[in-house]
Amino acid sequence: MYMPDIELHEATTLERAAEFKARYAPNARLLAGGTDLLVDLKARRINVDHIVSLNRIDDLRGVSQTKDGLRIGALTTITQVGNSQLVRDRFSAILDATSRMAGPQIRNVATVGGNLACAVPCADLPPILTVMNASVLLWSPEGERRVPLETLIVNVRKTILRDNEVLTAVDVPTQPPRYGAAYAKFSLRDGMAIAVASVAAGLTLNKDNTICDARIVLGAVAPVPKLVESAGTLLLGQPPGEAAFRHAAEIAMKAAEPISDVRGSADFRRELVGVLTQRALKTACERARETVA
Amino acid sequence: MTVTRTLNVNGAEYTLALSPSDTLLDVLRDKLGLTGTKKGCNAGDCGACTVLVDGETANSCLLLAAEMEGKAITTIEGLTQNGKLTPIQKAFIHEGGTQCGFCTPGMVLSATALLNRNPSPTTDEIKEALSGNLCRCTGYTGILRAVRRCDHYRGDTDPSGEAKKERTDEGGKRAKHDTVGVSIPRVDAADKVTGRAQYTADLSLPNMLHGKILGSPIAHGRVKRIDKSKAEALPGVVAVITGDDVPETMYGVSPARYDEHILAREKVRHVGDEVAAVAAIDEKTAIKALSLIAVEYEELPAVFDQMEAVADGAPQLHDRYKNNINTHVDHTFGDIEKEFAESDHVREETFTGNNVYQSPLEPHASIATWDHDGTLVLYSSTQVPHYVQYMMAHVLHIPLGKVRVIRPTVGGGFGGKAATSPLDLCSAILSKKTGRPVKMVYSREEMFHYGRGRHKQHMKFKLGVDRNGKIKAFKSEIYLDGGAYSSFGVATAYYAGSVVPTLYHFPAYKYDGFRVMTNKPACGAMRGHGVPQPRFAFECLLTMIADDLGIDPIEIRRRNAMTPNTTTINEMDIGSCEFAATLDAACEKSGWNEKHGNLPPGRGIGVGCGGFVSGAGYCIYRGQVQMSHEKGREHFQKRSIFPHANAIVKISEDGMAAVLLIGAAEIGQGSDTVLTQMCAESLGIPSSRMRIRSEDSDISPLDLGAYSSRVTLMAGHAVSRAGEDVVNKMRPYAARMLGCDEADVEARAGRMFVRWDKDTKSPTQSAIPNPQSAIADQQSATDDVAWEEVARQYFNDNGPLVGTGCYKPPDGLGGDYKGSTVGTSPAYSFGTSVCELGVDLETGKVKIDRFTDYHDCGTPINPRAVHGQVEGAIVMGASETIMEDVQYDAKGQILNPDLHGYLTMTIKDAPEIFSGIVDSYEPRGPFGAKEIGEGSTLPVLGAVAHAIANATGVWIKDLPITPEKILNALRDKR
Ligand SMILES: Cc1cc2nc3c(=O)[nH]c(=O)nc-3n(C[C@H](O)[C@H](O)[C@H](O)COP(=O)(O)OP(=O)(O)OC[C@H]3O[C@@H](n4cnc5c(N)ncnc54)[C@H](O)[C@@H]3O)c2cc1C
Ligand code: FES
Ligand code: FES
Repeated sequence: MYMPDIELHEATTLERAAEFKARYAPNARLLAGGTDLLVDLKARRINVDHIVSLNRIDDLRGVSQTKDGLRIGALTTITQVGNSQLVRDRFSAILDATSRMAGPQIRNVATVGGNLACAVPCADLPPILTVMNASVLLWSPEGERRVPLETLIVNVRKTILRDNEVLTAVDVPTQPPRYGAAYAKFSLRDGMAIAVASVAAGLTLNKDNTICDARIVLGAVAPVPKLVESAGTLLLGQPPGEAAFRHAAEIAMKAAEPISDVRGSADFRRELVGVLTQRALKTACERARETVA
Repeated sequence: MTVTRTLNVNGAEYTLALSPSDTLLDVLRDKLGLTGTKKGCNAGDCGACTVLVDGETANSCLLLAAEMEGKAITTIEGLTQNGKLTPIQKAFIHEGGTQCGFCTPGMVLSATALLNRNPSPTTDEIKEALSGNLCRCTGYTGILRAVRRCDHYRGDTDPSGEAKKERTDEGGKRAKHDTVGVSIPRVDAADKVTGRAQYTADLSLPNMLHGKILGSPIAHGRVKRIDKSKAEALPGVVAVITGDDVPETMYGVSPARYDEHILAREKVRHVGDEVAAVAAIDEKTAIKALSLIAVEYEELPAVFDQMEAVADGAPQLHDRYKNNINTHVDHTFGDIEKEFAESDHVREETFTGNNVYQSPLEPHASIATWDHDGTLVLYSSTQVPHYVQYMMAHVLHIPLGKVRVIRPTVGGGFGGKAATSPLDLCSAILSKKTGRPVKMVYSREEMFHYGRGRHKQHMKFKLGVDRNGKIKAFKSEIYLDGGAYSSFGVATAYYAGSVVPTLYHFPAYKYDGFRVMTNKPACGAMRGHGVPQPRFAFECLLTMIADDLGIDPIEIRRRNAMTPNTTTINEMDIGSCEFAATLDAACEKSGWNEKHGNLPPGRGIGVGCGGFVSGAGYCIYRGQVQMSHEKGREHFQKRSIFPHANAIVKISEDGMAAVLLIGAAEIGQGSDTVLTQMCAESLGIPSSRMRIRSEDSDISPLDLGAYSSRVTLMAGHAVSRAGEDVVNKMRPYAARMLGCDEADVEARAGRMFVRWDKDTKSPTQSAIPNPQSAIADQQSATDDVAWEEVARQYFNDNGPLVGTGCYKPPDGLGGDYKGSTVGTSPAYSFGTSVCELGVDLETGKVKIDRFTDYHDCGTPINPRAVHGQVEGAIVMGASETIMEDVQYDAKGQILNPDLHGYLTMTIKDAPEIFSGIVDSYEPRGPFGAKEIGEGSTLPVLGAVAHAIANATGVWIKDLPITPEKILNALRDKR
């Protein structure tokens, strides 16, 4: 565990960052908070010679309100997201993820862009943000494109980002009335622990208290955050409750593709998915009801 | 490529030439000399490297220094202004917030950031803010208390005033002692909260080289060929050594089983087994050189499980250990068959333990250099400086007197630093070869590969009782997974049997122990050495039997509890024993009777007991202190050949300071503090006048070190005898000044006076007023003189005022059977823990809420230090019960050699702890004291396991009790 020799390119603009990255690809990586990248470099999980730092591009920082909802700049730290009044008031389900991520020292440095772009299966933000229908903005000199978050990550540590592309922001649309979301994470200890399994769930209730829309995303139990569309479909038109949630949980368990590792066996993870799905749905439903209470 | 950057650190600007890959941590430590920022893991997992960046905490090991321009960086050194401590630093000192101190700078900075933005945080907010900082010593209890009570330290608090207050609070009336029994702050606390304390890795010597060791990539194999030429050719590399370049002499811990080579000859036996070593101009170059050493191996079949390793046809690790059995213990006491036959209830259960790693926060480190006269000077983060000295002399073939071991501040050991390490050996050899100082520091991963953690034990237990639950017979068959070398393991195998009968009366006892070699890093001695897992299993089995018979689990323990002045069935001499009192107190304080049996599903309460030796009765090696080649293997004598603890106390010429010289190893447990207290007490001066020098074998006389919980009792005797020796030398002078008999002179609190008769409250003889008394005491000016004045008068006539003291364990400890020495001790501790917890029955997650613990540690020398040990042991013990295990793949690679995969409890996981001490006095201990350091671990595992069983209705008999195992057991039950 020690840093390899690297060349550091400190970009002050997106153009420069894209240029550096493209010039040295595939022998280059973007650097944000570095809480993932530095560990990977030290452990030789990533072997590149060129590091392109985004940290001088101040435009990429901050949480703001757009006409469609919430925008979080890629360089916004997890702590800043947690402290944002806008997030606390209107998108508080995100706090389920940010408040239990790593420890304060990491949260003060780790960025939202890094958490999404690292494409690590146990990352906490992708499931909840996907459930909330987030999209990401990918910038390159050719222009900016917006993609739904669920299409960003394609495999373990692999994204659709092109060699000259930078993730600049994540947008979360304003949530309709009677909407609630929640993130349930299981880890082996209470402080500083990554997810063994996690489930994010979001649902919207009809006026008659049936479910009109539901999304369930599993974390840490598949190579990518797993959007279980069939579980969402199943809930449509159903009254929320234990029976419906259990049924959705069964589908989620089937959809999970967990592995066995030091944190637990595949069977254990699958079992957790069932429990966490029900818990996330229950909390989401309570929150949906609170929006109109 | 280098870049130039101006960094603002602690308010000063530094313009530095940096490599872009330099982390902020390395720059602070190596370029700016700010070594208060610690490297515990180098991977973001421990928080020891915490700094403030623009007021917020960050792990400096994950920041590139080149990116830090324009940011205000604060390190621990930047907190104190003009030498004035901040309130939180003071709170850490006075509330027990620091022990080994390695986590302390990071903790203090995390607390500082919190308090700056939120001056009155809630407990949950404190826990959240400190959750990224691991501590292995304190159980987080003192740390939490310090942050909660920080407000009390905003003014100028007088530490001695605080301590006194506590003393009268606790004692009520004027106590028998002035310093002993008082919770003075640790003598090293101020250094630790300011970042001044220097650990081995913080030191650097002029012209120093950096060394690294190449470990085997395979678990078992023959070394066919090593080509080091490419490594030698790398610029910056100064020396490369392999097995051919080092002495052939084997080393280890138990003299009968020295089976380790410094660097592999012929064979490697585990992943990480040492093959070659490099010295280079910096660590990075040394690491690069390792990758250039070409080693050709012939891979051999390997075995990783002790039960498989003893089977016929299993791969053999060493020729000398048939069937891989490294040690076999076969002990039978009493008529085991008859007692089982007469038992009303017999139950047999099999338990398995886990491979727990001590994981001290400070990685091992050594620096070696050779003086021109041929003296080896070795700085080592060790808990046993003397044994390191002994082993270096043995391996290098030089007299012991030519080895000087310096033990800088040590960041925790727990047994993991109780043997001579490859770093000690390789740094010395590389330094000899290069003629330059050589520094070697383990990475966290290398620590795991070096190992020496707890033996994983497979335990088949059978317990017979009568209908009242009185134990009739106990039979234990244990297979210990020893890893690839002996290390401490012979003793471990014996301990696993010998300290089981010290807690309960056993009419008959049979123990069969097998320590087995496997292709994994060697296991060693970890807190409670060999005993915690058998204790866990025994406590579980006893509770199962209580449940079978419908007897309350605490009641069954009362019925069998050890009693004072008993010789156990395996001939251990129990002196003081207040075990029953600990049971009663824990029962009462925890509300056991109301809770046990009345909790809802998912809530559990459990009890566990334990105790330990207060120092091993015999030295690890036999014979006198000399290089072991000078003699054949000595035969055993049932007495100590030489004193195990030795002290010198030297009084300054003005009589105002006393310097205590003793080799006892302060490793965070607090020995410097309690030894200071005991010495001050016997000298009759306030502890504030004392300094202790325990770090250098050139300065301090031999002490066997910090293992087997021996220091308080053994070194305590040595220091108080040294103090008495000084007072005896002063007696004639004081008597002359006071006009009394020498025998009637008493020294206390910096004065010398005529002893007061305790009944009549008058001097035992009429004291003649003394006009010469330098400082007049308010109440009895005529009857006493200042201590320092007497000391000066002694010096005027005789020169140096020095006292010496030593301690030998009593002769004849233990029985006459083979292995009877292991487990012998002058005294034994006892304790009871009650654990309360919740289990999420859907996920299996355990949340330990509360521990109530009472201990019989004899007279506490420093109650706060005792509680600190208990709190630390509870969290460490609870952590190993539910979450710790070194895991291996099918090829013997460690799957979790880091603090990301090997989890230990954070402050958010740690329970609330009540620690109580029962009244007890041990006649064989100094001031009545016994041990607390290891005994405090022993009740914990069983208490947690029982509480989980109580909450879930299922017993999990293999450690660690993970959520997954709980869910599986619940499913099997359904
Ligand atoms: C001790 C520890 C505990 C942790 N615990 C958790 C946890 O509980 N939950 C969790 O989710 N994570 C955890 N992490 C992982 C990590 O902290 C997070 O994933 C973090 O959000 C990564 O952000 P970063 O800014 O540090 O990313 P970096 O390390 O800077 O980058 C990560 C990756 O993303 C790429 N990248 C970064 N920004 C961009 C961008 N704008 N555009 C394109 N690519 C980009 C980088 O090239 C790199 O490959 C932990 C890490 C550590 C060291
Ligand atoms: S050394 Fe940086 S977190 Fe451990
Ligand atoms: S005092 Fe915290 S690790 Fe030792």
